[in-house]
Parts: sequence; structure tokens; C-alpha cells
Amino acid sequence: MAGLRYWFMKNWIDLRATIRLTGLCLLVAGCQTTAPDAQPDEPFVKPANFPEPVYALDKNRPTTAGMLLGRALFYDGILSRDGTISCAECHNQTYAFTHHQHDVSHGIDNKVGTRNSMPLQNLAWETNFFWDGGVHDLDLVPIAPIENPVEMDETSTNVIQKLRKSPKYPPLFKAAFGTDEINGPRFLQALSQFMLTLVSGNSRYDKWVRKEPGGTLTDEEQAGLTAFRAKCSGCHAGELFTDNSFRNNGLFIQGSRDEGRAHVTELAQDRYKFKVPSLRNIEKTLPYMHDGRFYSLDAVLTHYADNVQPTDNLDPILQTGGSFGQSRPGIPLTSDEKRQIIAFLKTLTDDQFLRDPRFVEP
Amino acid sequence: MRLAYSYSCLVSTLVASLLFISCSKETDDAIDPNATNSVAIEFENRVGDQKLVLGTPAYKNAAGEPFALTKLNYFISNIALRKEDGTVQQFPNQYFLIRQTDSQSQLITLKDVPSGNYSDITFTIGVDSVKSLSPVAERVGVLDITSYGDDGMYWNWNSGYIFFKIEGTSTAIPTTANANQQFGIHVGGYGGGWNGSPKTVNNLRTVTLSMPTKATVRSNIAPTVHLLVDALKVFDGPNKISLAKTNSVHMPAAATPVADNYKTMFQVDHVHNDKQ
Repeated sequence: MAGLRYWFMKNWIDLRATIRLTGLCLLVAGCQTTAPDAQPDEPFVKPANFPEPVYALDKNRPTTAGMLLGRALFYDGILSRDGTISCAECHNQTYAFTHHQHDVSHGIDNKVGTRNSMPLQNLAWETNFFWDGGVHDLDLVPIAPIENPVEMDETSTNVIQKLRKSPKYPPLFKAAFGTDEINGPRFLQALSQFMLTLVSGNSRYDKWVRKEPGGTLTDEEQAGLTAFRAKCSGCHAGELFTDNSFRNNGLFIQGSRDEGRAHVTELAQDRYKFKVPSLRNIEKTLPYMHDGRFYSLDAVLTHYADNVQPTDNLDPILQTGGSFGQSRPGIPLTSDEKRQIIAFLKTLTDDQFLRDPRFVEP
Repeated sequence: MRLAYSYSCLVSTLVASLLFISCSKETDDAIDPNATNSVAIEFENRVGDQKLVLGTPAYKNAAGEPFALTKLNYFISNIALRKEDGTVQQFPNQYFLIRQTDSQSQLITLKDVPSGNYSDITFTIGVDSVKSLSPVAERVGVLDITSYGDDGMYWNWNSGYIFFKIEGTSTAIPTTANANQQFGIHVGGYGGGWNGSPKTVNNLRTVTLSMPTKATVRSNIAPTVHLLVDALKVFDGPNKISLAKTNSVHMPAAATPVADNYKTMFQVDHVHNDKQ
């Protein structure tokens, strides 16, 4: 008995790998079955209340094997120069894949960037990526942190070479793409497949919209939704709670004096404009703004109510005499409205997403 | 003696006329419309009238600034050859990355070129907007954005290829600007405009060069077009660039004068029409 236990412990790691691999093989075999009643292998599912995705799914539709490969890559420090920094370093599931409590992201050798890491969720609906929208295709996103000298500081060429030499990856690529060839496009598409599956559409708000069990909003939250629609949805529009535009929301120009969108377009009319972020899981993605300057939702709403600055290209909605006929820049908000809006925003927290075992480090 | 002389004279004349006959026969060769062959294009990088050797501080620009080059890479695409009758043969979807450190990359080959006498060559320096926006699966070979290693021919923060990259050192660069007196000039910018986003700076440049002798493609002739590429023009083109002032260019708008300069750095030196 003791001998058996010893054998079991000694071989547990191998056994675990075997079990995992067998599971994978079964999954792959599952994909290849053509029985009419077989479940389609589609880990990406569009919530009923969401619009059609923007990402060209027909070119790279997530499969379970592709998503598992992408997940393995996402959680692997092999993507960084010294093996210490994985994607998950700045994108932690518990906080909707943000860098919790970090105003700006901390990367390799404890170097710091200039921007707050954005949540990774509902990426199939994003028209462009990063606070300045410098990247137009999800498949091109991972190169940016990998090659950024203060994030992962590695060449993507070297990442591909390391993956080819690793015993772990060729079988995962084979499961995902049919052969064990590891190349740039496959690497990027696998990461996209994982990221595409990070869909958050099961908050209490969503259930309320879809009239599902558990979909109740309190009077306070419903009052918040009404105030939100009147005061916030001009930018945080639709079921994704963003119109994917770039706007100057009148922050004090401070710190790195980041010019945002103009960094990419080099156009004067884009100075100080940043991407309008989604508000899904906003309760968990603090701190807020492109440089993480606000530590609470109350600070954010106080900014809009009291502190909007008439800097270059301030959004017309926020200007004096803007959408609300306001007498000074900003959004007129009473303290009741602020409290109600925050109550509503917390209904966008999707615990199922934040704890989904499919997204956890393998 | 005299006899021997006339004999050798006769032989030479004969040989010469034979050669002449064969030559004129060659150019007069009827063009078989079904025959194709390849055309090679050689990019020989120089600095003024000197050979380009990386790391050698032997060069000087018009501003009198001595410099050495440590890197010279550029993309060539959308090549077209124009026949003497004006018809144009295009070579779409073929992209080439010329690297100074890789002599093989400096000789590119166009395949299946129809027979004909070609008088002009046109190409784009850079990667056009269509390919710059294409799905990753279509970005293979030199367009694979993970393939550049330390050459880094891709802007990951502002998605787009770096069309042209020249790096080096110059003692004219103030150590206050760069302690190691290094310069890096990176040119990209395909014009933006995706998903309704605004048009941005477009640094794609197209060059048309006439050939001093026509490239005569035949079933038995695969011409080589030999280009001289003068890196000095990067600084001394229509715009005069001083390394003391301009030593770090990493954004499209600032790179435009450089693109206008390197557009002038190519010329066809000669064409080989050797029979195979």
C-alpha cells in the first residue's frame, strides 16, 4: 500500500500531464466527430443581448484546443526576456484581467510604464486596442507588451524560438492547428482564441436585461440606471458600455503629460483623447483612467461633476453649454445621482466571469 | 610573319563578325509570347562613392558630419516592369526585405516574367496599406511580424511595418542627446484610416527608374538589373539632414523628409542580359 502510494506520488506529475493530455485528445477527438448531435466546439459564445462581434471570427474561430494553447501561453513567463513576466502579471482574472492596485503597469526588472493596464474582456467587440488605439487587430496586440522594454522586453522572434525548443508546446500547437509547427501567425492566433473567449455577459444587469433568474435590480440601482442613461451613456453606450471612440474627458494634464490618441495619429485634434473604456466589471478594475489616477468610482464621478478641465479638444459633451446645458465644463451630478450611478455600475460585476475555471492558470 | 599577322587578323575579324552576328541575332530574336523567364534585381548599397561596410566610420554627409552605419534595412514591394511598348507587368503580393547584413536578401528574383524588352522598373519602398492591415495568417515570409529579431522592422505600439531603418553612430551627435552618439532613423506610416479612423501620415514612396539598356527577357535570357543604392542620399537628398539635429526618428510625421530623401537613392547602374 505504501509502495503504491509512493509510486503514485512519484508519478503524480507525469500522471497529471497524461490525464490532461488524454482530456485534450478526447476534446480534439470530440471536435472531429461529425455525429449530428455532437456539441459544436465553440468556446466563444455571444451573449444574447450583445451586438455582433467585430473580430473576424471566420478567420480564427476559437476552438477548445486553440483556447487551451492560448491560455497556456497567456500564463507563461516564457513570453518575457527573463521568464518572469507573463501576460497574467498585468491581467489578473480576479480583477477582470487588470493589474490590481497598480496605477501604471509594472513589468520586467520592476520597470514601470505610463499607462494603466486595461481589462481583457469582450475583446471580440473592440474596434481598436490600448488607450490610444494604436493597434487595430486583436491578433497584433500581444507583440506590443512582449517587445515593450518596460513590460516583457523580449523579441517575438525569440519567443517563437523558445516555444519551438520547449517540450510542452509542439503537442499543444498540433492539437490546436493540426501540425506541431510553431510560427508567428499561429502563436498570435492562439493567444487571440484565448482572449476572445474572455466574454463577460453574465452580470446581474445582463440577467435583468435578459429577464433571467437572478436578474433583479433594486430601486436604487434602477434609479442609477436612469441617471446613467441620462448622464453617461453618450460615451459609455450600448451593451458594451463604450462607443469605442477616443475623447478628452478633461483630466488635469499631469505626470507623463500623455497626449493619448495623438501619440498614434500625430494629429492636433487628437491630443489628450483616450479610448472610452467599457464599464463592465468596473467595480473590480480600479484604479481608473489611462494613468490610474482615481482609486474609487466616487473619485471618478467627482471628477466629472466638479473637476473637468477645459484643455485642448475637451469633448463637446463636457464643454460649457454642452449636452446638459451646463454652466461650466463637466456633467452636472447631484450626490444622490452619484450614489445611484455607482450602485448601478456595481450591477455590471460578473462574478461568473471573474471566477470562470476555464480562464484560470492551468 | 606577315602571313601569320594577316591570318590572325582574318581570324579576329571572323570571330568579331561572328560575335556581332550572334549579338544582333540575339536582340533581333523574335519574342515568343508564351516564353517566360525570371528577372533578378540586385540592390548594391553604397555610401556616396564608397562601398557600404557596417561599422566603418569612413563616411561624411554634406553637413560635414562623419558617421558609421550599423544597420540598413528596407522593404521593397509592388514591383512593376514596363515594356518598351508601354505595357506594364506587375508583381503584386511580393514583398522583399533588403538587409545589409544578409547578402542573399540583396538579390531578389521575379519569376515568370513574360518575354519582352523592359525599359523601366517601378517599386514601392515599404509595405502598402492593404498588406499593413491584412490578417496575421496572410503575413508570411518577410511580412511575419515575429520574424525580425533584433532588426525589429515592425512598430508594435502603432501597428505597422517600419519601411526603412538606418542606424549608426556619429561624433557629430551631442553626447547630451545620446551618450553613445548613436542615431536611429525609422520610417513607417502607411496612411492610417482603418475602421473609419483618421488618415495619418503616409510615408510610402514609389520609385520609377529607367534602365540604361533594356532588360531583354527571353526563354534563354534571365536578365539581372543591377541597382546602386546610395545611403548618403538619406541625409543629402532634397532635404539636408544633419545628424547633430536629427538623430532619433521614430514617428511617421518626423520621418517624412527622410522618406522624400531615400526616394532618390536608387538608380539602375547596368543590366545583364546574359544567355543561359
